[in-house]
Amino acid sequence: MNARSTMRLVAGFAAAGLAIGALAGCSAGGDDPDNGGDAPEEVTITWWHNATSDPLQGLWEDVAAEFEEANPGVTIDVTGYQNEDLQRTLIPNALQSGGAPDVFMVWPGGEVRAQAEAGHLRDLSSLTSTIDALGASVNPWKVDGAQYGLPYTFGATGIWYNTEQYEAAGVTAPPTTLLELEEAVSKLNEAGSTPFSVGAGDGWPAGHWWYQFAIGACGKSVLETAVPALDFSDPCWITAGEQLEDFLALDPFNDGFLATPAQTGADSSAGLVANGNTAAEFMGPWNAGVIGSLTPDAEVPEWLGWYPFPATGSDAVVMGGGDGWGVYKDAPDEALAFVEYLLSEDVQKRFAASGAGVPTHPAAAAALTDPNLQASAAALAAADYVQLWLDSDLGPAFGGPLNNAIVTIFGGTGTPQDVVKALEDTAAAQ
Amino acid sequence: MSVTPIVIDEASAVDAPPADLPRWRRSWMAQPLVYFVAIVAVLISVGPVVFVWISGFRSTADLNANPAGMPDPWYFQNYVTVLTSARFWGSVFSSSLVGVGTTLGAIVLGVMAAYVIARYTFPGRQGLYVLFAAGLMFPVTVAALPLSILLRDLGLHGTFIGLIIPQVAFALPTTVIILVPFLRAIPNELEEAAAIDGTTRIGFFWRILLPLSMPGLVTVGVLAFIGSWNAYLLPLLIMAAGGMPQELWTLPLGVQQFSTQYSADTGAVMAYTSLAMLPALAFFLIAEKRIVGGLTGAVKG
Amino acid sequence: MTTHTSAVIAAPAPAAPAAPRRRARRDGRKWLEIGLFVGPALIVFVTFVILPVALAAVYSLFNWNGLTPLERFVGLDNYVRALTDPIFLGAIRNNFTILIASILIQGPLAIAIALLLNRKLRGRTIIRAAIFVPYVLAEVIAGLAWKLLLSPRGGVNALLEAVGLGAFAQPWLANPDIALWVMFGILTWKYLGFAILLMLAGLQGVPEELHEAAAIDGATWWQTQWHITLPLLGPTIRIWAFLSIIGSLQLFDMVWVTTRGGPVGATNTMAVYMLQYGQGAPGYGSAIAVILFVISLVVALLYQRFAMRRDLVGAITSGVR
Repeated sequence: MNARSTMRLVAGFAAAGLAIGALAGCSAGGDDPDNGGDAPEEVTITWWHNATSDPLQGLWEDVAAEFEEANPGVTIDVTGYQNEDLQRTLIPNALQSGGAPDVFMVWPGGEVRAQAEAGHLRDLSSLTSTIDALGASVNPWKVDGAQYGLPYTFGATGIWYNTEQYEAAGVTAPPTTLLELEEAVSKLNEAGSTPFSVGAGDGWPAGHWWYQFAIGACGKSVLETAVPALDFSDPCWITAGEQLEDFLALDPFNDGFLATPAQTGADSSAGLVANGNTAAEFMGPWNAGVIGSLTPDAEVPEWLGWYPFPATGSDAVVMGGGDGWGVYKDAPDEALAFVEYLLSEDVQKRFAASGAGVPTHPAAAAALTDPNLQASAAALAAADYVQLWLDSDLGPAFGGPLNNAIVTIFGGTGTPQDVVKALEDTAAAQ
Repeated sequence: MSVTPIVIDEASAVDAPPADLPRWRRSWMAQPLVYFVAIVAVLISVGPVVFVWISGFRSTADLNANPAGMPDPWYFQNYVTVLTSARFWGSVFSSSLVGVGTTLGAIVLGVMAAYVIARYTFPGRQGLYVLFAAGLMFPVTVAALPLSILLRDLGLHGTFIGLIIPQVAFALPTTVIILVPFLRAIPNELEEAAAIDGTTRIGFFWRILLPLSMPGLVTVGVLAFIGSWNAYLLPLLIMAAGGMPQELWTLPLGVQQFSTQYSADTGAVMAYTSLAMLPALAFFLIAEKRIVGGLTGAVKG
Repeated sequence: MTTHTSAVIAAPAPAAPAAPRRRARRDGRKWLEIGLFVGPALIVFVTFVILPVALAAVYSLFNWNGLTPLERFVGLDNYVRALTDPIFLGAIRNNFTILIASILIQGPLAIAIALLLNRKLRGRTIIRAAIFVPYVLAEVIAGLAWKLLLSPRGGVNALLEAVGLGAFAQPWLANPDIALWVMFGILTWKYLGFAILLMLAGLQGVPEELHEAAAIDGATWWQTQWHITLPLLGPTIRIWAFLSIIGSLQLFDMVWVTTRGGPVGATNTMAVYMLQYGQGAPGYGSAIAVILFVISLVVALLYQRFAMRRDLVGAITSGVR
C-alpha cells in the first residue's frame, strides 16, 4: 500500500468539488521547483536550511547569489526554516509527499540512513575532491559505503567552564579522569560554587551525560556493532546508568535542573554559566556563541575555557555531532556543483567567521581564532573514534524514549535498567 | 397566542441602583465587591501580557542579566526594528487576509450547517453532529503528513485560498458545536408565526434567525479569527513549505526570524509578539460590542 | 427518539387527508434545503479533516518510519505497546486530572465572573477585553512568558520576595509534585477568558423581565441566579463543559511549550507523548492519536447521553411558566 496512491484517488474526488476554489485566490510562487519549463537551460534549485536570522541567513543568501552569478541560467530558491520544524515536519513531509527541495539539511546517523535506504537521497560519492578535503568528519553521513551527505559543521561536545571559579575552588588543572572530575565537583561544592548546570528541562542535555558515560563504558568495538544492529545486551549500557547515578550522588547540578531549559534566557543552563551562577556545562561547540549572547555585554567571556570530557573507559572516544547538506534524488546536476561550492574553503571560512559553528573544512578550521574552538577541533582530531550523539545515531524514534528515561534517572525515580528497556522497546518497534 | 417579549438589550442590564428599585437590589451585591473582583481578575489576566509588553522594551542582554527587573534603560530598538521591517507589515496583511477569510468561511458554512442540525429532523442528524464534534477529537499534528499530500495533490500549496479552506474546515467543529444550542434556543413559536405569515424557511433563516443569534455568531467569529491568527501548523505546511515569499508568511511564522538554531533574541521576540497581538485584540474589541447587543423588540403572536 | 419531535417540519400536520404528492414534494424540498445548507460545510470538512484523519488511522497499523512506502503491517502491536507503557498511562491520568479540575474549578469561576460582569459597570468593555486577552495571546508566547516568569529568578519569585512571601519562592516548574497544578493554574489563566466569553454570550439570551418578575416576587439576587439565570444558562454551560472536556483530553500546545511534559513526566499529556514518541515513527504516533480519539469519543458520547440529553429537546425559552 502506498500512501500517495490512495490519497491521489480520494483527492481526485475532492478536487472536483473544490476546483473553483482552488483556482480563485492569489497564488504566489507555489510552483514545481524541479523543472524550469520554458527555456532548456533554465534550472531552479530549491534550497532549505535552518538559519532564520542573520548573520547566517545573510551568508547563505549571499552564497546563493554568488553561485547564480557564476552559473548563468541557474536560479536558487533559498528559504530558512526553524530547525525543529525543518527536521521533524517539513523535510520528512516533503520527501514523502513529493515536494522535496533539491538541496537540504541532512542529519547524520539514523536519519541519513533512513532517508538513503528509502531512496530519497542522491549519492554524493562522485564529489571526491570535497570528500577528501573534509576528512573523517564525512563518516557519519556514509551509508553502506556510499556518501549521502556532506557535513559543513562538526564539533566535539565538551565541558565549557569558568576558569576563574575553578581556580578559586582550587581546581588547578582540568580533570582528565573520572576520579579527577569527581574531586573537582567536591572542591567546587565546598567553595560554594555550583559545579555544573544541565538543561534537563529540554531532555537532550541530560541525555548527553548518559551518552558520554555509555560511550566511555562501551568503547569503540561495542559501539561500532551495537548501534547499527540496535543490540543493547552488553552490560556496558547498564554501567553507564550506574556511573551516572554515582555522579548524581555528588550533587553536581544547579537547583531545579529538571526544568532548566538549555538556551533560552538567563535561567537556562547556558545562561547560568554566562552569569557566573554555575561553574561549567557539558555542551556542544556552539555553546561559545550561546554563552556569549547571554552575557550582559553580549561578548564571549574572557574566563570561558573548554576541556574534553574525562575519559571514563579505555578508548579515547569523543562524542560529537554536526549538520550537513544532502541532495534529493531527482535534483538537477547543478545541485551537486552547488554543494561543492557550499563546502569550498572560501565559503567555509566565511561560515566560521560568522560564529555559527566549527567548520569541517580543515583549512577553515585552522583559521579559527577562538582557543576553545581550537581545543575542541584538536580533541576531535586526536580521537580513536568519534561517536555521534546516540539519539541522532540511533534514529529519530529513539530520541524521546531514551532522553525521557535518562531524565528519570536525573529525577531520582528511574534506574539504569529503565534506560536499556526504553532502548530495547523502541528497537523492537523498528 | 402571545409570547413573552424577548428583549436583548444592553440598556436594560443592571444599572447603578436607582432609587425606585427594591431595596435588595440596592444593597446586595454592592458595586465595590464587584469592582474588586473585576480588578483582581483583570490584574491576573493582564499581568503576564504586560510582562511581555514591557520585556519588549528591554534589550536581550538586559533580560538575561536580570530576568525580573524593569527596563533600565528603556530600549526602543526592538519595537523599532519590528515596526520598520517590511516583513512585519507583510505578515500583518497576510494574517489579516487569512483571518478574515477563515472567519467569514467558518461563520457562513457553520451557521448553515448548525441551522440544519438544530432545527430540522431527519435521520442521521445526530450522526452529523457527532461527525462534526469528532473533528475536535483527533490531534491535528498527526494528520499533518496526509494533509500535506492532499494539499499538494489539490494544488493548494502556496496560495491564500489553500490556507483558508483547510482552516475553515478545522474551525467548523467548534463553530457548529457552539451554534447548535444557540439556534435551538430560538422558540418554535417564532418559526410557526413566520410560517403563518407566509415567510419561507429561508426567509425565516435570513430575516429572523440570523439577527437573533448574533451573540452566538459573533462569539464563533471571534474564536475562529483568534484561532486563525495564532495558527502555526497549517501556515507552516501550506505557506512556508509551499514556497510563498517570507514577506507573506503569517505572523506566528514570522517570529522565527528572531531565533537561531541555538539562541533567541528574547527582547525582539517579546516586542514582535506584543505587536502581533494587537489586531486580534482590536478585532475582539469591535466584535465584543455585538455580543452584548442584539435585536431589541418583542414578538407578539 | 420520541422526545425529539420539536415539530419543526413545516408546521402543523394538515388536518385534512394529505395528498401524498404534496407530502413528497415537501420532503424533497426539505432534503434539498438540508443538502444546500449542510453541503458546503460537509464537503470541506470531510475533505480536509476526516480524510487525513482516516488515513492517519490507517498508518497506526503499520511499523513505519515515514520515509519508505507503507509495508510492514503489524496490526495492533502499536496499540499494545502504548497501552502497556507506564509513561503513556501516566499521561492519561494527567489528562483526566486536568479534565476534572477544569470542570470543578474553572466552570463555577467562569460563571460567577460572568454573572458579575453582566451588569452595567463602568469600564465594562475594558474589563471584558482584559479578561479575554490571555486567550488572544499565542500559545507559544504564553508558554515562553510563563516559563520566564516561573523560572527561579523570574517575575513570580521576585514578586513573592517583594511582598515578603519569599518563603514560598521555589522553582515552580521543576518540582514534579506541584508541576501539574502549576500547569493547571497557567491553563486556567489562558482559557478562563474563553469560558467567560461563552457564558456572557449565553447570558444575553436570559430575558431581563424574568429578573424583574422575580424581584417583584421578593427573591434575593442569589435566589434569582440559582433558580432562573443558571437553569437558562444551562445549555451554554453544558457546551462549555463539553469543549472543556475535549480540550483537556487534547491538551498539547501550552504543555509542550512550557514544560515539554516534564519534569520527569509530571505534566505529560497524551498528545505530548504522541509527539515525543511519534518522531520518526508515524505509525506509533498515529496509534496514540487513535487511542486519544477513541477516549475523547467515548467521553463525549457518555457526556452527550447523560448531561446534554435535555438540550436535544427543543427550545426552552418558549412559554415561561
